[in-house]
Amino acid sequence: MLNFVIKRLLMLVPVFLAVSMLIFLIIHMVPGDPIDNMVQIGSSPEQRAELIAKYGLDKPLLVQYGVWFRNMLDGDLGNAIILRRPVADLIAENLPHSLVLGCLAFAFSAIVGVASGALAAIYKDSWIDRSVMTLILLGSTLPSFWLGLLLILVFAVQLEWFPVSGARSWSALVLPVLTIGLHGVALVSRVTRAAMLDVGRKDFVLMLHAKGLSHRRIQLQHVLRHALLPVVTILSLRIGWIVGGAVTIEFVFARPGLGSLLITSLNQRDYPVVQGCLLMLAIAVMLGTLLGDLLQASLDPRVRDSLK
Amino acid sequence: MNRLNHSVKVVLLALAGACVAIGSAPVFAQDATFVINARENGFPTYNPLKGTKLNVANNLIFDRLVIQDADHSFHGQLATSWESAPDGMSWTFKLRKGVKFHDGEPFNAKVIEWWLPKFKGTENAYMTESIDKIVIVDDYTVKLLMKNPDPALLFNLATSFMGVPSPKSYEALGDKFGVTAAVGSGPFKLESFTVGQQTKLVRNEDYRWASDLSKNQGPAKIKHLTLREISEDSTAFLELKTGGVDALLSVPTDFLPKLQAEKSVKVVLLPGTEVFYMPINTSVEPFTDIKVREAVALAVNQKEIMTSLFGGTGAVANNFLVSSLQESKINPKFNISYNPERSKKLLDEAGWLMGSGGVRAKGGVPLTVKLWTQNGTQFKRITEVIQAQLKAVGVNAEITVQDAASINAMYKKKTDHQLAVRSYDYVNADILDWFFSGTRLGYPNVSMWNDPKGEALDAKAMKGSKTWDERVANFKAYHEYIMSQFLFAPIYQPTQSFAYNTTRLKMPDSIRGIKLATQSIMDIEVK
Repeated sequence: MLNFVIKRLLMLVPVFLAVSMLIFLIIHMVPGDPIDNMVQIGSSPEQRAELIAKYGLDKPLLVQYGVWFRNMLDGDLGNAIILRRPVADLIAENLPHSLVLGCLAFAFSAIVGVASGALAAIYKDSWIDRSVMTLILLGSTLPSFWLGLLLILVFAVQLEWFPVSGARSWSALVLPVLTIGLHGVALVSRVTRAAMLDVGRKDFVLMLHAKGLSHRRIQLQHVLRHALLPVVTILSLRIGWIVGGAVTIEFVFARPGLGSLLITSLNQRDYPVVQGCLLMLAIAVMLGTLLGDLLQASLDPRVRDSLK
Repeated sequence: MNRLNHSVKVVLLALAGACVAIGSAPVFAQDATFVINARENGFPTYNPLKGTKLNVANNLIFDRLVIQDADHSFHGQLATSWESAPDGMSWTFKLRKGVKFHDGEPFNAKVIEWWLPKFKGTENAYMTESIDKIVIVDDYTVKLLMKNPDPALLFNLATSFMGVPSPKSYEALGDKFGVTAAVGSGPFKLESFTVGQQTKLVRNEDYRWASDLSKNQGPAKIKHLTLREISEDSTAFLELKTGGVDALLSVPTDFLPKLQAEKSVKVVLLPGTEVFYMPINTSVEPFTDIKVREAVALAVNQKEIMTSLFGGTGAVANNFLVSSLQESKINPKFNISYNPERSKKLLDEAGWLMGSGGVRAKGGVPLTVKLWTQNGTQFKRITEVIQAQLKAVGVNAEITVQDAASINAMYKKKTDHQLAVRSYDYVNADILDWFFSGTRLGYPNVSMWNDPKGEALDAKAMKGSKTWDERVANFKAYHEYIMSQFLFAPIYQPTQSFAYNTTRLKMPDSIRGIKLATQSIMDIEVK
């Protein structure tokens, strides 16, 4: 198992290199540059050229990448060109907000998703199952932007239970968490239900029925355990969402976070900030996938055996 | 197991601690929360010397030498009076006495001597480049010796970038000035600032030197002022509707009728400072032909756009400048107004004859042009209407929506665009130089116009005027020449608007200044 972990960690290195180069190249190839957002009405082309040289944007792309990569290895993500402060500081200010929102939404989708999926499987073809399937359909198809505004209209405007926007209190988290979480619930619920129905058709379940165990006990104690394997896979893939999945939600609810920072800096072509944010998101996805693989290996003996 | 439980508890507590954001301070009678114009969201600094984008809070933290009223007249703030030599080669300013910065340092002539040279080498250097020397006449009188006459000096001094910072704090904070702290002499002090989220200001209790545009000379009536940045229009609207905020400093056009219907909300309309227009690329076919340019310009029905898209609010644009500017009052024969019959006639004369399918053609080539616009509801709607209006005269316009951050880079390619829908927000005739000078082809000179006579008129207007009246006359001449070349089609001037909760705020009887800013915020009371 330790060998597996070390192997997987080493595999992350070339992935990280490739991702960092891709992030750097993509943002520099998009039309526009930060200087366009800095020049004033009345400034001259010479002043623009001076600014380009000042921020090293006149150097070849590979040189710029080399400088950025070397500094990054030293823990220096550079200074934001437009926002004029260290990128690390900006990320440190915004990341906790994204983490809190993401973690709560993740927990919500995992718990409610597994529970509703299990209920739907246990009471298959009943009104419970149909209700859950309807929820899955709505959760999968409603755009999160629209859902967020709908929740604001109902719970903030009509009922006045929660604030419309901002991050000034814990209650301001409820609607954004629900908005993100409901999407996750739909996905997790669907996977849980399908996995439980699939496992429920296996021979050992028939044996358990023959031994006289109750349907509910079989489903919850035996079937669900086996059905969690694909659910863990899905959840581990969504770990990356904890950090970056809330971009539109932060916009709708006017919340701080990595998503808001990314949108603002992308619109301004603030290269160092965009690079730093995308790198954080990439690291989150890579670590999430690794965690998922490790969890699968620990839960599934077949995966462990295949590593030997 | 105990250690694990303890670790879990620590993690949960840390998360809980992160969950509890800074609790909103209880709302007292002197506290107010405004939502700033979404266009000012994300502005990164309160350093007026180096910042190229400054939001409304900047003018609440920093005073300027002069400020403008709605009629563009200049009024003293840190200066009590000024005069310019007849040849325009010097300006003398009398400074206000008794002014102190937020850090207790005095404001006097030495501050001006320190401050103006600080612009050199910054992104805003051009604002003071006509100043040669600063002479201290006495503690409260400075004389600026000019390199050349610059009648626009007062306008520059009235902009947000000419807020005067405290020399002591500016030197002490270095690069952190405007980021973690900002020290001016304005009616409000900076308490905290989170980029993209909010700025918290607290009243300067020592403030007694407001301009004559404010009834209240100081201190401000609001004690704690929070300026929030909300990008989503619906969210901002709902915050005002539910009382989460007290005012929106800019109301999106779509929400005007909704807010006007709210009983506890009042919407105030102010003269606009923005112009929508359609530049025409004069360097590519078919627009190298002035007849085709004129035809396209005359095909735009400004009134229809104003009525159908904006509910009749605002004003049509018939030339390039905001109609409150003197330089916009050109000879009416140069103004461009909808005239589809003349448009069709000009296209016929240019050889573009109507073909089947309603699209004109010349030598077998259909009159199909690219019409660019940037993403954004207003831009897309205006562009779609213009597409239909051009079709009505036989021009087939193909719309391309570009990302707002990329579109300027696309213009710099110089030949890819033909027509575009754009806007600018600026209240000075200098904008003619910015958009039509031959030294800025591509962007911002999207019309790609480079004409010797135009350059000469531009140079005369920008640098050859000794007095303000001379400047106005020179810019009018330049403006008229630009209009005669049909470099663009004027479209629309949006109105400015702000909305406030009448149960929470009492506004002054009249709004002074070009926008809702310091002059009027001084007089706002919290009920």
